[in-house]
Amino acid sequence: MSFLHSVRDIFRGRAMGTAGLIWLCVILFAALAAPWIAPFDPLDIDPVNRLTEPGWPHLFGTDHYGRDTFSRCIYGARMTMLIGLGSVAFALVTGGAVGMLSAYFTRLGNFLMRGIDVLMAFPALLLALVLMTLLERSVVNTIIVIGIVYATTTARILFGMTLKLKREVFIDAAVCSGAGHGSILFRHILPNLISPLLVQASFIFAFAQLQAAALDFLGLGLPPEVPSWGNMLSESRIYVTRAPWLLLYPGLLIILSVFSMNMVGDAMRDSMDPRFKDDIAGV
Amino acid sequence: MSAAPLLQVEDLKTHFFLGTARPFGSGRRLLKAVDGVSFSIGAGEVLSLVGESGCGKSTVGRTLTRLETASGGTARLDGREILSLSQAEFRPLRREIQMIFQDPFASLNPRLTIEQTLAEPLRIHGLAQTRTEARALIAETLQLVGLDPKVMERYPHEFSGGQRQRIGIARVMILKPRLVIADEAVSALDVSIQAQVLNLIKDLQRDSGVSMLFISHDLGVVRHISDRVAVMYLGRIVEIGTRADIFDRPSHPYTRLLLSSIPRIVPGRKRVEDLGEPANAASPPSGCAFHPRCKFATDICRTTQPPAHAVDTGHLSACHHIEALQKDLA
Repeated sequence: MSFLHSVRDIFRGRAMGTAGLIWLCVILFAALAAPWIAPFDPLDIDPVNRLTEPGWPHLFGTDHYGRDTFSRCIYGARMTMLIGLGSVAFALVTGGAVGMLSAYFTRLGNFLMRGIDVLMAFPALLLALVLMTLLERSVVNTIIVIGIVYATTTARILFGMTLKLKREVFIDAAVCSGAGHGSILFRHILPNLISPLLVQASFIFAFAQLQAAALDFLGLGLPPEVPSWGNMLSESRIYVTRAPWLLLYPGLLIILSVFSMNMVGDAMRDSMDPRFKDDIAGV
Repeated sequence: MSAAPLLQVEDLKTHFFLGTARPFGSGRRLLKAVDGVSFSIGAGEVLSLVGESGCGKSTVGRTLTRLETASGGTARLDGREILSLSQAEFRPLRREIQMIFQDPFASLNPRLTIEQTLAEPLRIHGLAQTRTEARALIAETLQLVGLDPKVMERYPHEFSGGQRQRIGIARVMILKPRLVIADEAVSALDVSIQAQVLNLIKDLQRDSGVSMLFISHDLGVVRHISDRVAVMYLGRIVEIGTRADIFDRPSHPYTRLLLSSIPRIVPGRKRVEDLGEPANAASPPSGCAFHPRCKFATDICRTTQPPAHAVDTGHLSACHHIEALQKDLA
């Protein structure tokens, strides 16, 4: 109940954020219910009906193997959610742990945060490319690589916030009560980091989509047989003049989803941090 | 005072390095926040530590609770040295030395209910085995500090400053400590609330017989609560004695400067002129640190640090010119 209340508080009066949230719910529903909504098997090859235009029964047309683009888009939502949630979880757990521990144990921090600095010196996509070439293409590896890229920013943010929190008087009070390191980290510091972590999560979710699509497009992301929006773009780019719908639909889906996640992230940040008031362009 | 005091502090030093070392720069500057402080507190006694901001009085309290690391000296609680213990060895002793913090808005974790905040010390020190037991103790302690036990379900932001400070006091008293360090415990509160909380602290202290180190800059408050008073200036105690010694027979020029600054009309007391701001603790003056502000200062004050002279039994003053001062007072 209190969860629903806080969701309502975040999105009340924020139209773009609400629209984003609705769109994400649609994507989530498509991902969960893909086998029941998709009219065709996304992997079914039908050479007779290659590159058919959008219409009936192929709503979004078919690709160069005669696979149904609409069904592949719906199954692609699964990959979107999987990659998004997976990289967010990986980035927050590893980045959060590194950031918090580095700020709390200063000596360890001097060592760990310099490692983070080195990783941050690489452009995000380049770092992901380097890591992917070292690993084989798979869903898990894609999640890990994107997770590592965004763990660095998460670590930086939590490092700063933990440094500030650990000087709070209530931490001194907990020490005086006899609290140990574990209790201070998990009972006193972590709960005060939940709001920034949630905001961070929404932005990582959005960037992870772009990153995943870019890796797929470059042929270094998910295995080619997996129906993901990025892979669909990558495979059909040579047919762009004959069958532009093959790029149009997955492209639109990527744009809409990333935009929605950013809007949701903005709404969450605005509601949690009064310094970012939504007076810019009425968003 | 009994022969064996509860807390015996000898030559306590807490030094801080200022800034970070630069690769080619000179060495880091040393701030001697506390530089050779000695005092004792008997069982059931209230010793006040007074002085201006930055004189190191809070650092004394933070060092004794091991929130800061001592650079030298000893502190014996019941004869047991506590400054050289590791944090792990000191943890069980934390129950005996508790601290009331200045800012009631910062000293409670906003994410924990009052019950969670008060249950934490009980759990750590194994004073309640079950939640029912803990709740009973918490309810009892909340009543002791004048709060309705029902408030334990609520979060800190639902309370006023005075109520929060009562919760902070409950967190201390629930452990039944032997020494309470009150660091400016009422100075962040509204004046109308200060008296209530101060009376609560005084009543709790008297009823439980706990010893107390009461750190404050407010001489009116100190006069109300103390048995003995120690006056600090730039990291040292300049005068220590009973409440009557300090307030009626001040024997250090700095104590007299402080007393004269109480905004109150007292017939017969001469107003001592203020001679400016305290010196920078990071580069204290030579000799007696107070000499630039002292109208009694002579050459010896500029070169030699004055030792503590006994004015009377238990009344010490670190000044070269005690005799001249006493003539002046009479």
